Amino acid sequence: MTKTINITLKIWRQKTAQDKGGFETCHASGISTDMSFLEMLDVVNEQLTLDGKEPVSFDSDCREGICGQCGAVVNGRPHGPEKATTLCQLHMRHFKDGDVLAIEPFRAKAFKVVRDLIVDRSPLDKLIQAGGYVSTNTGGAPDANSVPIPKDIADKAMDAAACIGCGACVAACPNAAAMLFVSAKISHLALLPQGKPEAAKRAMSMVCTMDELGFGNCTNERECEAECPKEISIVNIARMNREFFKSAFFSAVM
Amino acid sequence: MNWLVKTLGSSIGKKLLMALTGLSFCGFLAGHLAGNLFIYGGRDAFNAYAEHLQSLRPLLTLAEAGLVLFALIHVMTGLLLFYQNWTARPDRYAVNKTAGGRTIGSATMPYTGVILLLFIIFHLFHFTFVDKTNQTIFDIVLISFQNPLYVTLYIVVMLIAAIHVSHGFWSAFQTVGLNHPKYMPLIQGLSLAFSIVVAAGFGFIPVYMSLMA
Amino acid sequence: MLESRTPGGPLADKWDRHQFELKLVNPANKRKFEIIVVGSGLGGGAAAASLAELGYNVKCFCIQDSPRRAHSIAAQGGINAAKNYQNDGDSIWRLFYDTIKGGDFRARESNVYRLAQLSVNIIDQCVAQGVPFAREYGGLLANRSFGGAQVSRTFYARGQTGQQLLLGAYSALSRQIAIGKVTMFPRREMLDLVMVNGQARGIVARNLITGEMENHAADAVVLATGGYGNVFFLSTNAMSSNVTATYRAYKKGALFGNPCFTQIHPTCIPVHGSYQSKLTLMSESLRNDGRVWVPKTPGDTRAPDQIPESERDYYLENKYPSFGNLVPRDVASRNAKEQCDLGKGVGETGLAVYLDFRDAIKRDGKDVIGQKYGNLFQMYEKITAQNPYEIPMMIYPAVHYTMGGLWVDYNLMSNIPGLFVLGEANFSDHGANRLGASALMQGLADGYFIIPYTIGGYLAGTSLPKISSSAPEFQAARKEAGSRIHKMMAINGNRTVDDFHKQLGKIMWDYCGMSRNDEGLSKARIMIQELRSEFWKNVRVPGTDGDLNQSLERAGRVADFLEFSELMIIDALTRRESCGGHFNEAFQTDENEARRDDENFCHVSTWEYAGDAQEPVFHKEPLEFENVHLTQRSYK
Ligand SMILES: Cc1cc2nc3c(=O)[nH]c(=O)nc-3n(C[C@H](O)[C@H](O)[C@H](O)COP(=O)(O)OP(=O)(O)OC[C@H]3O[C@@H](n4cnc5c(N)ncnc54)[C@H](O)[C@@H]3O)c2cc1C
Ligand code: HEM
Ligand code: FES
Repeated sequence: MTKTINITLKIWRQKTAQDKGGFETCHASGISTDMSFLEMLDVVNEQLTLDGKEPVSFDSDCREGICGQCGAVVNGRPHGPEKATTLCQLHMRHFKDGDVLAIEPFRAKAFKVVRDLIVDRSPLDKLIQAGGYVSTNTGGAPDANSVPIPKDIADKAMDAAACIGCGACVAACPNAAAMLFVSAKISHLALLPQGKPEAAKRAMSMVCTMDELGFGNCTNERECEAECPKEISIVNIARMNREFFKSAFFSAVM
Repeated sequence: MNWLVKTLGSSIGKKLLMALTGLSFCGFLAGHLAGNLFIYGGRDAFNAYAEHLQSLRPLLTLAEAGLVLFALIHVMTGLLLFYQNWTARPDRYAVNKTAGGRTIGSATMPYTGVILLLFIIFHLFHFTFVDKTNQTIFDIVLISFQNPLYVTLYIVVMLIAAIHVSHGFWSAFQTVGLNHPKYMPLIQGLSLAFSIVVAAGFGFIPVYMSLMA
Repeated sequence: MLESRTPGGPLADKWDRHQFELKLVNPANKRKFEIIVVGSGLGGGAAAASLAELGYNVKCFCIQDSPRRAHSIAAQGGINAAKNYQNDGDSIWRLFYDTIKGGDFRARESNVYRLAQLSVNIIDQCVAQGVPFAREYGGLLANRSFGGAQVSRTFYARGQTGQQLLLGAYSALSRQIAIGKVTMFPRREMLDLVMVNGQARGIVARNLITGEMENHAADAVVLATGGYGNVFFLSTNAMSSNVTATYRAYKKGALFGNPCFTQIHPTCIPVHGSYQSKLTLMSESLRNDGRVWVPKTPGDTRAPDQIPESERDYYLENKYPSFGNLVPRDVASRNAKEQCDLGKGVGETGLAVYLDFRDAIKRDGKDVIGQKYGNLFQMYEKITAQNPYEIPMMIYPAVHYTMGGLWVDYNLMSNIPGLFVLGEANFSDHGANRLGASALMQGLADGYFIIPYTIGGYLAGTSLPKISSSAPEFQAARKEAGSRIHKMMAINGNRTVDDFHKQLGKIMWDYCGMSRNDEGLSKARIMIQELRSEFWKNVRVPGTDGDLNQSLERAGRVADFLEFSELMIIDALTRRESCGGHFNEAFQTDENEARRDDENFCHVSTWEYAGDAQEPVFHKEPLEFENVHLTQRSYK
């Protein structure tokens, strides 16, 4: 049933990367429980604008849980308290009248705050640039059915490839590690015959780049898996480790 | 050899060091516990066991050196990881909440680890580097555990060891890449079982000894 | 002016022949050329990567923080290809024919045929990149039938086909970024096209983080900036989808083709409040098993399970016995609106119809239905908090795709030399209505397999003097874009940007949506003009222009929508027929179906900008059909 609720928001405000930033309190009143979390923020922003204040900057684009552009930490939970849900797909019916919500940006050394709730996730792009691809130029690909791929392998690759690159795994990890993200890409490509020729090079290069970018180290806390909006499993991290060891100890990759 | 340094210096490499040394410690714990069971056989049995161990001296020295080396690696790498992980998030969250991934074990590894380190040093001075010309090891242990403070200390530390191992054991498998949906539940079960065995096995010895006296 | 540059010869040989006739750029010279690609979706991402692979220096721009987030990512259903892997009679010719017919015969034969030919290569290319398409147990690729097609030619990756295809293009792009052949400019918005000596030679873009204006010069400019569905405010498009890039090019002289052709998708989650920011598509595949109905009596507010069988109106099945619930998108959408207009709509707003799985569950069991649609049901439940296994889904049409766009020739070049347009941004191969699973195909065909050849032909055959990005033309464009921003910021009125956008959206939806008439269109035109002038007096854009300012970003887009929407209306008023996505009530058959006028309107309508106070100038490209026979679509 649709209801309206009033909630109090403590939102992180920070003008630029250099600024110190801090929490500001504002009230969201008359919020329909059918609203998404971001629609609630839209309503707050409309009001702030009309009150002559600056609206809260936050990222979003598709608003259907697939582009990975949205994300903030709500009461200590990246993308909020619902399982397997991005912030844009989180609905206000999961909150109660009178709730007080602390909203913070994703935090990690590798993710600088750009403004308010917006962070710079370009290190994730750099990780893909370090080898998250198959080196095939356009043209010259063999017929798509020339290499059969067992269904369960294709399914596993798809499970890993479902990553939306939102960075919630990094935000959720107590160590701000990017292992789930990196392992999802390494797994996706290492599972498929098309990705195998470069698997060793890819694993070494992506892992070393991950370290250089300032992400933390995995301690198998499993928070990433628990928060991932696409429920990507840490089985992929184990696979990445195997790929890394294979690359380090049993391949020509230096 | 440059590649080896690079490999072991990487985040996954460091994890590999932790896992291998940690797992060896688990092996050591198991062996140590098995040996300690001789204590239930009484003074002679236990002293005979200790003597037998000593008679294997060259081997024992090797094992001890190995343990020290592994301990150095485990501790140094663990502390390095702890430091790096702390600095990977310079601005911390105002509100922290778990999504259900963490356990007491996983969340406290560095702290339980440091306590274990301190304990191990204490433990070595307590039972190993003591003058055994006039007393047997059995007597040293027996007298020690007359003191309820030692009994409590040992029990508490063994619980802490169990907590460390409850995460460490399965985590080491995950780290070396052994995570398969079919077997992972088993490994996690073993992890729990092993930590209970450690806590109960080691923990009961001080109790038993204090009762015996 | 409208030279389509379609090569001669038999349809099936045109592309081959054209490729041969196009001049080649000497491989050593390619690195001397600089190409700007605006957009990193399937069109732009594929183009930027492929051009860089050939050796060109590419600068690629996108609004999002990463090229991987372009709205192509949201496509669910699948991508068509004439592989005939299922041995069910598909062929390049059949895909060509279906696409031309589906588009209500308002697309260029030669382009559509080429699209069908290239569809085959796309799948090969994507598999080679590691796109994890769905597979059969034997390891071969799986297909499904989609969008009412009679053959199974749709390739898919669960419900995330667009995502996986885009990640494929993004990975190829990333590889080129790493090598240094592509320089990526994320969080940039193109605000103007720069022309030098009549050629497209660069863009002015705003850095969305610092607010800085940047000039970028090049030898050619490729726009792949997606569709303009957000002119309706509510659509299935992403928040940043816009018309700015293409509209600015239009104002620089590029012709806009068929702006009024918009696709309204029948199965979306209905609107539930004025605060709503977007509409969510529910895959069309649901209509394979779901039955669409409304209560027979208007104003019936009983819960769906309280309405007995005899009082339900399965209007699609009744009206179109042979296609039933599987009629094409435009037909399904219009009929839903008709039922709601009759007062038979359901839900709190009365603007929804039921899509009921009760009978399918009874027939196949909950498990089978769950396997097919489980993830969709879950998504629906997440948004609406209702369980479609028990309560019929409620759906309503929503703006989804824009067939209109910048006019391009066979080389995908607009009438401005050096300005190429790909993907949804061009007026496209989809005529007046796009078939399901064909936009992904078009974006990738354009980006991977067409532009790499045709741009070479242009560069090799054109004299392109060296220019600098501080040339007067750049300074002028930059100044103009800057002063627009200053003007907007200075108004400091009483209404927010979104407020204007919502009002514009409502006008467009009411009068230029699923069903149009002259009176409404004319009225809407005046309303838009009034709204636009109010916008420039009363909008409030908070903050400054010297840093990240999302209100300002939106304001610029809405300002362009406020002008562009009028062009859509003009185009709709001019097309005196109904076809595909354009339904003018004055032109319908006795059975209320769209009535085309092939005699007078078998053409592409294009519009040339003539000044803010002037009517745009109309040009037409007649469409000649040499290979297919024009038929009236019938789904009875
Ligand atoms: C919900 C949904 C489902 C769909 N499902 C299907 C399907 O199943 N099958 C199918 O074939 N099609 C489907 N479509 C249609 C299809 O996804 C799109 O038409 C197609 O992906 C568009 O690709 P594109 O490259 O042209 O543009 P987009 O992917 O929209 O990319 C536009 C790019 O341009 C950039 N850009 C835009 N404006 C500017 C500017 N001013 N300055 C700088 N950069 C700019 C953006 O940042 C972005 O990178 C679906 C569409 C939607 C919305
Ligand atoms: C009997 C003693 C010990 C045993 C049996 C033991 C066992 C283990 C095991 C199996 C792991 C798992 C490795 C992995 O996750 O891959 C581990 C991790 C860890 N250990 Fe120990 N350990 C012992 C002592 C210590 C000591 C003395 C320290 C001192 C600092 C320590 C600190 C750590 C830390 C910080 C980790 C977590 C590292 C990570 O997960 O990345 N441990 N231990
Ligand atoms: S806005 Fe795209 S995932 Fe949330």
